[in-house]
Amino acid sequence: MCAKDHFEGKGALEHVAQMKAKGMLSEADIHGTEVPGPWPAALDAAKETAIVLLLFQTLFSLVQASSWVTFTAALTFSFGWILWKMGRSAWLGWARLERLHRLLAQEKWEIEHNRPQEREELAVLYRAKGFEGELLEDVLDVLMADQERLLRVMVEEEMGLSLQKQEHPLKQGLFAALGSLISALICLIFLPWSLLVGAILVVALSSALSAHQLNNHVIPAIVWNVGLLAVAYGAVFFMTRYALHG
Amino acid sequence: MASSRPLIFGEYFETGRPETASPFLTPTSRHLGHNLPLKSALTSAFLLIFSFCLIQFTNASDIGYFTLILVYFFAGIPSLIDSVEDLANMQINIDVLMTLAAFGSVLIGSPLEGALLLVLFAISGAMEDAVETKAKSALSHLHSLRPTRAFVVEDEGHIVERAVQDITVGTHIRVKSGEVVPLDGTVIKGASAVNLVHLTGENLPVTKTVGDAVPAGGQNLEGSLTLSVTHTSADSTLARIIQLVTQAQEARPKLQRWFDALSKRYATTIITLALSFTLLLPLVLGIPFFGTDGSLYRSLAFLIAASPCALIIAIPIAYLSAVSICAKRGILLKGGVVLDSLARCHAMAMDKTGTLTTGQLRCTTITPLNTLQYSPEQALAAAQAMELHTVHPIAEAIDRHAKKQKITPFPLDHFKTVPGYGIQADIHVDEDSVPAQMGNLAFITRSVDAETKQLLTTTCRAIEEQGELLAILKLGDDLFIFRFQDTLRPGIKETIQTLKQHNDLQIIMLTGDHPSNARAIAKAIGIDDYYANLK
Repeated sequence: MCAKDHFEGKGALEHVAQMKAKGMLSEADIHGTEVPGPWPAALDAAKETAIVLLLFQTLFSLVQASSWVTFTAALTFSFGWILWKMGRSAWLGWARLERLHRLLAQEKWEIEHNRPQEREELAVLYRAKGFEGELLEDVLDVLMADQERLLRVMVEEEMGLSLQKQEHPLKQGLFAALGSLISALICLIFLPWSLLVGAILVVALSSALSAHQLNNHVIPAIVWNVGLLAVAYGAVFFMTRYALHG
Repeated sequence: MASSRPLIFGEYFETGRPETASPFLTPTSRHLGHNLPLKSALTSAFLLIFSFCLIQFTNASDIGYFTLILVYFFAGIPSLIDSVEDLANMQINIDVLMTLAAFGSVLIGSPLEGALLLVLFAISGAMEDAVETKAKSALSHLHSLRPTRAFVVEDEGHIVERAVQDITVGTHIRVKSGEVVPLDGTVIKGASAVNLVHLTGENLPVTKTVGDAVPAGGQNLEGSLTLSVTHTSADSTLARIIQLVTQAQEARPKLQRWFDALSKRYATTIITLALSFTLLLPLVLGIPFFGTDGSLYRSLAFLIAASPCALIIAIPIAYLSAVSICAKRGILLKGGVVLDSLARCHAMAMDKTGTLTTGQLRCTTITPLNTLQYSPEQALAAAQAMELHTVHPIAEAIDRHAKKQKITPFPLDHFKTVPGYGIQADIHVDEDSVPAQMGNLAFITRSVDAETKQLLTTTCRAIEEQGELLAILKLGDDLFIFRFQDTLRPGIKETIQTLKQHNDLQIIMLTGDHPSNARAIAKAIGIDDYYANLK
C-alpha cells in the first residue's frame, strides 16, 4: 500500500487529526446510543420506546384499581426494566470494546505493513510537541524500534485512547442493574404515598452525584433534571386526563 | 532491552485476542471475562433444571417459563448468532441444525427439550474453548522468548536501536553481554559463550568466536558479539521453531476433525430431510401442514430427535477430562491432539537435557593433575571465589558443590572474564596472592609448557570419552580438572524400562550434546537408540 492510499489522499497531519477524532469517538461513553449520529440515535430511541410500550401495555392489561395490584405491577415492571437496563449497559460496553479492539488491530496492521507512513505520522505528532532536527530523528528511532512502545504511542497519542481504563462490560451492566434496583426500591417505598416524590428524590440525587463526578455545577444539574422530570410528568398526567375525559 | 512498563499488547495479540487480555480493560476487571462461555453455559443448565422443576412440579409455571426464556437467552443467543452468520455465508453445519431444532421446538410446544439442546450445545462449545485456551496460554510464553529489538552498528560506528523487522540481511548488530541474540547471524567481531538451552535443550553454553554462526534466541553470556545478520526476523531459527510449535498446538484432535467433516454432511442431510417431510408429507399422506398432526410439527420433531447432542458433548468432555486429570497428576498436555498421538504411537523420542536429566550440572570430582602446593579443597575454594562473579551453569555447579563441602571462598582481586574461554583473578590463599585461571582447554593450555599441555589434553580427552564435562583450574602452577555430570531425573531409569516393557514402546534419545556424553547417559538410563550432536 503506497503513502497516498494509506493517508487516503490527505496529508499526514490531517490523517493524524482524523485518527484522533475517530479514536475519541469510539471511546466515548454515550448512554442512549452506540455511536453518536442521527441514525443510531433514532434506532436506539425506537428500541427503548418499544420495550417501554410493551411493558406498559402488559402492565395496563393486568392493572386494576387496588393499590396491592398496582404495587405488584410496578414491582414486576421494575424487574423487567432492571433486566433491560443491565443487559443494555453490558451490551454497550461490549460494543465499545469491540470498536476499540478493531481500531487496535487496524493500527497494529498499519505499524507492521506501513512503517514509513507510521514514522511520518509519528514525526507529525512529535513535531507538534516541539521536537525538531536530529532530536526528532532520535526520538523516532527509539519509538520505531519497539513494536509495543510504538503501538502504545499511536493508540494513546494519535488516537487519544486510554489504556487499562475501561471496566469490564459485565461490571458496567451490574452497576446499571444496581442503579436501577436502588431507584426502583426508593420509588416503590414511596409508592403508597407519592411515587412522584420518590422519583424527584432519585433524579435529584443521581443528578447531583453525576455532576459532582464530572466536576460540573451541582445545583443547576439538580434543578434542570428535576425540571425536565416535571415537564415529562405533567405532559403524561394532563394529556392523559384530557384524552380520557375530554 | 525490556520495556520499563509491562507488555500489554503482546499477550493480547499472541493468544488470539481474548477479552481477558484486552489492553483497554482495567487489570482488576479482566478476570470477570474468564471462562465466560462456560459460566454462561453452567448458569443456563442450572436455570433449566430450576425451570423444569417449577413447570412440572409446582403452580409457579409462569416463573418457570420466564427462567426458560433466560436459558434461551444465555445459551441460545450465541448459537443463533453463529447459525445466522453461517447461513449468511451459505454454510449448513451442526450449529445450524442444533439452533433450528432448539428454536423450532418452541413452535411445537416443547421449549424444555429445545432448551436442553441449547444447554448441551453451549456446554460442549465452552469445553472446547477451555481446551483451546489452555493450549494458547502456552504460546504466549513462547512468543515472549522472541526479541523485538536489536542494536544496529552503523557505518560510522554509532549504535542505534531498531525493531528486528526493520533489519535486513547483511546488517551488523551488536549483542551485548546478557542479551538474547535477536537475529541469526555470523560473528564478525568478539567472542563469548552463548547458551542455546531454548533452542537445543543443552544447558552448557557454547563458545562462539569470529566466523561462527549464532542462532536467534540464544542467550549471550559474558562477552560482546558483533554479528552480520544472515536471516531476517521472519526467517530466523527461533521464528521457525515458534511457527512449528504454534501449528502443532493449534491442530485439532483427530476425533474432532472427523466429527467436523461428518457433521456438515449430517446436518445438510437432516435439514434437507426435514424440509422434504414438511413439503411432501401432506402431498403423499394427505396430512395437514399445521397442527399437531401436521407435517411441520412432525418435521420439527424429527429435527429435534436427529440432533446429535450426545455426540457433540461427548467429544470435548472426553478431551477436557483427560487433560484435567493429567494436569492433576503433574502431566501438562498442550491440547487434545497430543492425546491422539499418545494413543497411537509406537516410538517415543525424548530430548536429553531437561527431560531425561534435570539439566543441572553436578560437580562429581576434582582431579589434581600435577599438584605441587595446593589441595583439592583449596582449589575448590579458589574456583568458587572466581565463579561467584559469573553467570554460567558450571559456576552454579561449583558453587553448589562448595557449599555442600562447606568450603569458604578465598578473597580475590583483579577478576577478569575472557569471553568464550574462561576467567582469571588473583586469589588470596593464606597470605599469598596467587594468580589463578579457570576455563576450557584452549584457555589453560596457553600458559603451560608443551609436556603439561600434552598431558592435559590426553587426560581431558579421556574424561570426555566417559561422557563427562570438565573445566580446568590453574592455581599458581597447580592444575586441577573439575568434572561435571548432568543429573539424571529421579526414577527415570524405571520409567523408561516401564515404557519399553509394559507399553512396548521404542525409546529414542535426542541431544545436541557430544556423542560420548550422550552414550554415557543412554547407557545409564537403558536407552538403546540415541542421536547426538544434533543441530
